[in-house]
Amino acid sequence: MLINLRVNGKEHAVDVDPSTPLLWVLRDYLGMTGTKFGCGIAMCGACTVHLNGAATRSCRIPIEAAANAEILTIEGLSADGSHPLQRAWLELNVPQCGYCQAGMLMAAAALLKEKPQPTDEDIDAYVTNLCRCGTYVRVRAAIHEAAKKSGTSA
Amino acid sequence: MSAEAPETGPQDAGSGRKLSRRTFLITTAATGGALTIALLLPRMRGKSARPGKPAEVGPWLTIDADSNVLLRVPMHESGNGAMTLAALLMAEELRADWSKVRAEPIELNRDARENNLYAAIDGKLSTFSGRSTTPDTLRTLRQVGASARERLKAAAAREWDVPVTEVEARDSVLTHVPTGRTLRYGEIAAAAASVKLDREPEVDAHRDLELLQGRAPGKLVDAQIVNGTSVYGIDVQVPGMVYGALMQSPVHGGRLKRYDFEAIRNMPGVIGVAVVDPDEPRKRLKTPINDGESHEQSTIAVVAEHYWQARQALEALPVEWDDGAGARWKTTEEMNAAVLGRLDRPGDKVEKEDGDALGVVQRSDRVVEATYLTPFSEQAPLEPLNATARVTDDKVEVWHGGSIQAQSFLIAAEESGRSFEQIHLHQTMLGGNFGRRNFADDLRLVVAVAKKFPGRAIKIIWSREEMFRQGRYRWLTAGRLRAALGKDGLPQAFHSRLCRTGYGTAGISNIAWTNGAIPNVRLENSDLPLHVLWGSCRAPGYNSYAFMAESFIDECAVAARIDPLEYRRKLLAGYRDPGWLKCLNEVALRAGWGEPLPKGQGRGIAISNWGNWVSKDLIAGTTAAVVAHVDVSRAGELRVLQLDIAFDCGRVFNRDAVEAQMQGGMLFGLNMALNEELNIANGRVVEGNFDTYPIRRAADTPRLRVHFGGLSGRDRFSEVGEPPVGPVGPAVANAIYAAVGKRIRSMPFRKHDLSWS
Repeated sequence: MLINLRVNGKEHAVDVDPSTPLLWVLRDYLGMTGTKFGCGIAMCGACTVHLNGAATRSCRIPIEAAANAEILTIEGLSADGSHPLQRAWLELNVPQCGYCQAGMLMAAAALLKEKPQPTDEDIDAYVTNLCRCGTYVRVRAAIHEAAKKSGTSA
Repeated sequence: MSAEAPETGPQDAGSGRKLSRRTFLITTAATGGALTIALLLPRMRGKSARPGKPAEVGPWLTIDADSNVLLRVPMHESGNGAMTLAALLMAEELRADWSKVRAEPIELNRDARENNLYAAIDGKLSTFSGRSTTPDTLRTLRQVGASARERLKAAAAREWDVPVTEVEARDSVLTHVPTGRTLRYGEIAAAAASVKLDREPEVDAHRDLELLQGRAPGKLVDAQIVNGTSVYGIDVQVPGMVYGALMQSPVHGGRLKRYDFEAIRNMPGVIGVAVVDPDEPRKRLKTPINDGESHEQSTIAVVAEHYWQARQALEALPVEWDDGAGARWKTTEEMNAAVLGRLDRPGDKVEKEDGDALGVVQRSDRVVEATYLTPFSEQAPLEPLNATARVTDDKVEVWHGGSIQAQSFLIAAEESGRSFEQIHLHQTMLGGNFGRRNFADDLRLVVAVAKKFPGRAIKIIWSREEMFRQGRYRWLTAGRLRAALGKDGLPQAFHSRLCRTGYGTAGISNIAWTNGAIPNVRLENSDLPLHVLWGSCRAPGYNSYAFMAESFIDECAVAARIDPLEYRRKLLAGYRDPGWLKCLNEVALRAGWGEPLPKGQGRGIAISNWGNWVSKDLIAGTTAAVVAHVDVSRAGELRVLQLDIAFDCGRVFNRDAVEAQMQGGMLFGLNMALNEELNIANGRVVEGNFDTYPIRRAADTPRLRVHFGGLSGRDRFSEVGEPPVGPVGPAVANAIYAAVGKRIRSMPFRKHDLSWS
């Protein structure tokens, strides 16, 4: 079945079984591998993308439910890695293995849109992604840092 | 190429296991006995560099016309920063501009084709794997940078016709000091490649890194991580690639009985199935990890055009298994009873006997005894197991994010039966390791499947459930510890009896208490081999054994009515490694040990060491001391408020990277202690995903405080990934006891009732 998708502002038509999860369409059909597979049950958050602006775990979203939606992936978070979160992530050396970090960044980006100056509690409630390396302390710090930079430049 | 080099470097050249020493040995053979360092930079190819093509200054590095430096390093990135540190060490001596340095893993196929250019690919663990600060590796990396630098300087001196002593190298620029003339590295690299030195420069491998200058450079891969372009094994894309999903015998060691391909033949995208038969004869090589952890399991794989199609088809495929002997274990409790029951009889082996521990315990009227249990647990790196392989008539190409390149390479050679020259391993990044990617068990199965589809590149990805249930787990261990307390309350004897389904005892056998601090010691071990597979898990067994030893010392302190910190201080008073006491004092001071706390709160302390057995006097490895501060509600809800750690790995290069490992290691140890457990039902592993195997999230993260005041400054750069994991569990258990008087003797802690009134 031909399904029309809009990913990072670009139109795609994909011939795929409509029950295929968005995650696997992004990765296998569109070759966009920045969005990761971690658990397949929407628990870990490695597959987080924005669906019409909301942080969404793409491993459990059938592609038919994402048709015609506005999808944003890590590849589209910024054109050149200059999103305040990406910069803060590098400044504070957040990643360890890095595998969960695209999902973390996407969750954090959605949070900042909703709450530009989040508290620790906001972060804890919103960024529920799993990181096995244990980068949480730096993730929090980097979100605050990005919020601070965005706040002062605005 | 006959220049002589000093036979021994500034540190222990005695070990023949490591990279540089082995390279030296090969050199010796190649040059008929004259020991030279030149093979570190063999085959200078001065004339071969064409304009626009990067000049290879020996196999370790190339420099292009714009002075971009590409370093080839023996380790890759798995999250601990080892690859970046390796590059820093080389760039330091090279005096390279760090902003123009890239690194990539050494290509083992080239090593095989070019007579072990870098080192032999064999069963040695440390050659092509994840650490950059083993003494010989340190020395090799810095030597490579220094030797290349001297060639660049010599080439510039030749160009200017000046003495080389007047040439200075810095930030990838060569300067003729008296005249101020300069050449960029890129301008002279091709000429440098043909320079022959009379002698290689000397290197002080343990000098601090000037490149750091107090900065904390991130990993070389971080920019790609945050923009989503980094390539993990799971992200590999090969033209024409197809996908697979697989299932192994749910009871480890079982066999595939029958399946019905006809039932799925016409499902969308399905290409075929492949069976992996563990009984098929195979080539066996000596591999770095060869305890059976990489051995093939009975497997069926479905190959399809797309991954989701393969998953769907596998789920629909009718399959029957012959479970084999493992199925007799009906429940976890049966297994626990087996290891616990084994503690009633003397151990199979006595690992250590100092003095007369049994006699002292028998005669004592102050005996403390406690029995502990730690369950199977899974490393659970976030990237599911996977590999990609293509087998053709003359080539075996594999793409794999293993943690030990040599292991991946050798397993591909074993499973394909091909010669080393035909194995092309493309090393990718790893989405976490923690020991799970050591074995290349995933790569083995993928090669086995790809063999049956010649010419096709096949990527197989494990489901999370398959990965959980086909693990190489931290094994099940029961331990009974006994001590006889003297008049001063300190143990006069320490007697342990362990029964384990894996191996090792670091955490009990290598600690201060059993190596001089207590006069009479007897350590007994028994093995109970089970069908459940096992392997390294952020230090093999260490977290279990440290939990037992440090909980037990706490119990002794309580029995002696002495503060647990003071008790350990007394025991460490004359201990040969003063780093232990330094860590203990540092962490206690920083954590505010002894300051009053409200009811329901408590602090606990624990200390251990990982790695000190590399030295006979045990003044080695990394000692880590942790203080946990917990709050237990009346209803029994546990909150860990703060973890403080002090450690002694000797010295550190990159403080920020070490801090990251300490933070992550503490959280790993915390999750293990509080949450992790795999159960067995009818021989099968029950838990299959994060819904039943909880991993703590940002909201559950205590304050983590890393203190550097425990460093002894001794001349070593010991590992920092594993050591923090051990003391966290017992520190928390001891804090719970301090808070509410309940002693936790088994993991996971979440299963214990901590309520109080």
